Amino acid sequence: MKNIEIKRKNRSNLTPYLLLAPAMILVLSVMGYPMIDSIRISFLDYSLLAPNDIEFIGFGNYVKLFNDSDLFNVFLNSIKWVVSVVSIQFLIGFLLALLLTRHFRGKKFYQSVVFLPWAVPVFLAGLMFKWIFSESNGILNYFLTSLGMIDEAVSWLGNSKLSMSGPITAMIWYGIPFFGIMILAALQSIPQDVYDAAKIDGSNAVQQLFYVTLPYIKPTIITTLLLRVIWVFNSPDIIHTMTGGGPANSSNILTLYVFNQAFYSLDFGYGSAVGILIMVLLVIYVLLFLKLTKYESAGDF
Amino acid sequence: MVIFKRNFFIVVSYILLLLLLINVLFPFYWMFATSLKTRQAIHTRVPELLPMKPTIDNYVKVFAQSNFGMYINNSLIVTVTSSLIVLIVSVLGGYALARYNFKGKKAVMIIFLASQMIPLIVAIIPMFVLYSKIGLINRLGSLIVSYTASNIPFCLITMSSFFKHIPVSLEEAATIDGCSRFQAVVRIVLPVMLPGIVAVFVFAFTGCWNELFYATMMISTDSRRTIPAGLMNFVQKYDIDWGQMCAAGIITLLPVTIMFFFVQKYIVTGLTQGAVKG
Repeated sequence: MKNIEIKRKNRSNLTPYLLLAPAMILVLSVMGYPMIDSIRISFLDYSLLAPNDIEFIGFGNYVKLFNDSDLFNVFLNSIKWVVSVVSIQFLIGFLLALLLTRHFRGKKFYQSVVFLPWAVPVFLAGLMFKWIFSESNGILNYFLTSLGMIDEAVSWLGNSKLSMSGPITAMIWYGIPFFGIMILAALQSIPQDVYDAAKIDGSNAVQQLFYVTLPYIKPTIITTLLLRVIWVFNSPDIIHTMTGGGPANSSNILTLYVFNQAFYSLDFGYGSAVGILIMVLLVIYVLLFLKLTKYESAGDF
Repeated sequence: MVIFKRNFFIVVSYILLLLLLINVLFPFYWMFATSLKTRQAIHTRVPELLPMKPTIDNYVKVFAQSNFGMYINNSLIVTVTSSLIVLIVSVLGGYALARYNFKGKKAVMIIFLASQMIPLIVAIIPMFVLYSKIGLINRLGSLIVSYTASNIPFCLITMSSFFKHIPVSLEEAATIDGCSRFQAVVRIVLPVMLPGIVAVFVFAFTGCWNELFYATMMISTDSRRTIPAGLMNFVQKYDIDWGQMCAAGIITLLPVTIMFFFVQKYIVTGLTQGAVKG
C-alpha cells in the first residue's frame, strides 16, 4: 500500500493540474473575469441607450444606490422573500420527511411522485401558478369564491399589497421536495439503536422527536437552511414570470432588479453597482455562515 | 386506548400524505387539463375541473402558429452540447479532486464553492459586454459557453464525491493486471460509476434546459430563442393564450420528467454531497 502511495505521489506532479485545467479555465474566464469586469463597469456611466457616450463617473452609481428609494424596498422584499419561502419550505419538507420514515404500501411510488416538482423548470412553475392565480379565470379565485372566503375576484398579482403572495406560494411548492429529500436522507442516517435506547428509557414519540431526532440531524438542518437561503435569494425566475417584479417594484427582489436594470432600463453601470452590492451582501452572509457552522469540519469537502 | 391512539395517528398521517400529494399534483394536473381545453372552455365563469370536450388543438397550434418547434430545437442544441462538455470536464476534474493530493487543491475547492454561491445574474452585464466584443451576441454559442461554465462547479464536486465512493483498490488491481492508469479508469472505474455519470448529466441537463435570464438577455432574434425565453415572450403579450401556453408547458416538462424518474435515487446523493443547487 505504502509503495503505491509513494509511486502515485511522484507521478501526480502534473496530472491533477492537467485534469483540472479545462474546468478551471472555463470557470475563471466565463465566471471569474466578468465578476471583476463588473467592478470596472460599475464606475462607468454606461447605458446601452447611449453606447457611444460611456464615461468614468467614479462613485456616481454607488451614490445613486443610496438615493434610489425603490432599492431599499426591493432589499426588504428580498428578505421577506427568503424568510417566508425558506421557513415554510422547511416546515412542510420536514413534515413530509417525517411521514416518509414510516412504511406504507406504495411508498416508493409516492416518493417519486411527490418529489417531482424538483425536476420542473423554475420558470414553468411560475407559469403554472400565474395561471392558477390569474384574476379573471384563475382557479384560486374560483375556489375561494365558492368557499365564501372572498366576495369578488382578487387581483393577486396586480395589487401591490398582494403581489408577493403568488410567487412565494409557487416557490414554496417548488422547494418542498428539496427539503424533503435532504431531511429524509438525514433522518435515515440516524441509527435505530439510538431510538431503542430512548424507548427503553421510557420516552414517547414526541420526546423522541425533540430529544433524539432533532439534535441528531441539527447540523444537516442548519447547513441546508443556510445554503438554501443563498439559493432562494439568487432565484428570481418565478417572480420574473409571475409579476416581473411589479406592480411598481412591489414584488421585486435584488437579483431581479439587476436583470431589470440590464434588460429593460439598459443602464449597465447602475445595474453593475447593484450587482456589486449583492456580492457584498453575500460575502457578509457567507462569512457569518462559516463562523456559525464551522463549515469546513462539517462537510466532507 | 393505546390502540385507538395509534390508529388515530396513522389516519392523520395518511390524510397528511394525501394532502401533500394533492398539493404537489394539482398544478401539474391543472396545466394538463387546461392544455386540452378549447378557448371557450378556458374562459367559462365556472371552470371545468375536467375538460368536457378534450382537444389536442392547442398542441397543434403551438407548433403551427409560433416558433415553438424552433425553440425546442435550439434548447436541445444548447442543452445537449453544454451538458456533454460539462460531463467530460467534470469527470476529468472530479477524478483529480478525488484521487490526488496536490498544492492548491484547497484554492480550487474554494473557487468552485464560491462560484456556486454567486448568482449568475450578477455576471449578466459584463457577460453581455464580453459577448458583444467577441461577436457571440444573439448566437446560441453565447448560451453554450455560459451554461457550461456555470454548471461545472456543482457537477464537478458531485462527480468527485462519486469517485470517492469507488475504492482505489479497484484501479490498483487493474494496474497490477497490466492496465495503465488511464485504461484502468476508462475500462473499470467509469462503467462502475455509470449511474453517477448519468446523474451528473441530468443535473447539467436540467440546469441548462431551465435557464431563463441569459436566454432572454443574449438572444434577440425570436427564431434563435430557447424554450424558456420563447415562452416568456408568449406570456408578456397582453392576452395570454393559456391553452397553448399549457400545451407548450407540458411538452417542455416531458424530457426532464422522464429523466427525473430514471435518476431520482442518485439525486439524493447528488444533492446531499453537492450542496447548493436545488
